[in-house]
Amino acid sequence: MHIAVCIKQVPDVAAVRIDRERMTIVREGVQNIINPSDYQALSLALALRAGLGGTLTVLTMGPPQSEEALFEAIAAGADRGVLLTDPCFAGADTLATSHVLARAISRLEPLPSVVFCGNNTTDSDTGHVGPQVAEELGLPQVCGIFEVQPESLQTLLAKRVRDGYLETIRAACPVLFTVKGVSEPVLLPGLGSLQSAFSAGSIVRWGRNELDLTMDETGLTGSATRVWRLRAAPHRTKGEILTGQAHDLVKEILKRLEAMSLVEEEQIHG
Amino acid sequence: MKQVVIRRTVRSDAEHFLAPLTAEMDRTGRFPVQWRLFAAARQYFGLEIPQDLGGAGLDAVSACIVIEEVSRVSPAMGLCISVHNGVALYPIFKYGDDHQKERYLRVMASGDAIGSFCLTEPNAGSDASSLETTAVRRGDNYVLNGTKIFVTNGGVSAINLIFSASLSESGKKVFTLFIVESDRKGLEKGPAEDLMGMRGNPVCSISLDDCEVPLESRLGGEGEGMRIAIATLHGGRIGIGAQAIGIAQGCLDASILYSRQRIQFGRSISEQGAVQGMLADMAVKTEAARLLVYRAASLREKGLEHGKESAMAKLLAGEAAVEAARSGLQIHGGYGYTKAYPIERFYRDAKVCEIYEGTSEVQRMVICRALLK
Repeated sequence: MHIAVCIKQVPDVAAVRIDRERMTIVREGVQNIINPSDYQALSLALALRAGLGGTLTVLTMGPPQSEEALFEAIAAGADRGVLLTDPCFAGADTLATSHVLARAISRLEPLPSVVFCGNNTTDSDTGHVGPQVAEELGLPQVCGIFEVQPESLQTLLAKRVRDGYLETIRAACPVLFTVKGVSEPVLLPGLGSLQSAFSAGSIVRWGRNELDLTMDETGLTGSATRVWRLRAAPHRTKGEILTGQAHDLVKEILKRLEAMSLVEEEQIHG
Repeated sequence: MKQVVIRRTVRSDAEHFLAPLTAEMDRTGRFPVQWRLFAAARQYFGLEIPQDLGGAGLDAVSACIVIEEVSRVSPAMGLCISVHNGVALYPIFKYGDDHQKERYLRVMASGDAIGSFCLTEPNAGSDASSLETTAVRRGDNYVLNGTKIFVTNGGVSAINLIFSASLSESGKKVFTLFIVESDRKGLEKGPAEDLMGMRGNPVCSISLDDCEVPLESRLGGEGEGMRIAIATLHGGRIGIGAQAIGIAQGCLDASILYSRQRIQFGRSISEQGAVQGMLADMAVKTEAARLLVYRAASLREKGLEHGKESAMAKLLAGEAAVEAARSGLQIHGGYGYTKAYPIERFYRDAKVCEIYEGTSEVQRMVICRALLK
């Protein structure tokens, strides 16, 4: 089975600060990491491959240095990486990004039976790219899964939580999944596998020419949307102070947490 | 790019898994077993050993980066891997025969067996040649007698490199090195030292009382001990230099964070010129030391002479660590004098970087010897 995983390198949000005057992200000195839900997608893909065998290809679109993310994915267990990089890809919105990713996936040999994407990125957080890639490739899509198991050679069972219900969906390959909320902690690769990944050199680079795309289909010109203006939204959450005896206050707070579905009744009384 | 990713990976490891353990480690002096298992799984115990022998196969600069990043969070654990990799595992890899490599490399690189390097004695510190531990050949065995002190990793080590002296046939004092397992009869470990800093690394004494070891335990030839020790220490100093720049960087990062948060006179103290001057000096010295450490590492990687360079690196890095800790504590003011912030621990941890693996005075001696050669 051939599995493809789309990943993106994003600034480590834990380290990012906002320049309040310019309203931009201060990227200086901030490390780039694989977007967390993309890493979760990679870990589900690796687990699926471990069960079914086959090849795992990771793709990323970005500037040349995003090759780093591919090396990390290879260190984690992927077989090869495809770096989609070209100066004319810069400034792409989600549509133009999906266009490049979909074209690249359609050029993979053999065609992947399963495509994984993260559900959303920590830097722009649209959640568009996975579904748009699926649309463009004409694949069925299941979004927001946290687990996937093979049922037969051609069908997979994926689980996701929707509106408080656990859905199990049977999907026939080829299919695209977007992933979020994987409960297993994702362990970064060890030093030895990082060392091998960087020395193996199993990454190919594709630009606009290799993908037979026109200028109008990529980057800023290929984008359907443009950020017009960015301002900080005023956010003020109003606190509420409860007074009374500690015992009553605990009950009161638990009642409110339960109303917000943050704790369950069993947990309260158990 | 590889080294950037290695740094980020180890930093993330250290901040997530090691940072929560540091306060208790410092308070109790106990070695954290859970971190050992984690570090072993991440191959921290086989940094430069080739992958086919069970190591991570890193280059020397990458190995420095690992030690540096662990030390940035926990100097005591940075010390553990620096000593294990640099002066216990590496000499066996470099000078061991096939049998010794087969027997020790894998178990050490996997972290199943932690190593120590036993040179210092009650009457032999900077003057290593005055050591009194003896090795006497008896048939196919050697009998070791003597006491080693301040053994880093001693409390948890399974494999110890012991330096010993004996008289050659011509009556000359010669030095020989032995690989001695901790469960050998006649080897006894003392209680862990109650240290000022680096708490959590179980530093103790190891005494040898008619400890009999087979011929195969000898690392290198009889009389080759000093040569191997000097070469090993050249590498070891790079590791300690890396550890020291990790400490300096830890102090700098903690001070930047604190100076941004601390408001005095209506603004954060990071806007005060006096504080900015200290931060800048800390950064410059840390960076200068880092470059010296990486240069020494890369010379070693290429198999070039690096004795003087590693002494320079260790000297400057040790000073950078101590100065960064002092300035960092000054920036923290009264809060820095409490155990509420890690800078107090760094202040105690840093000092030993000017003492072990050759004091700063010995480094100057080594450097000058090379200059006047």
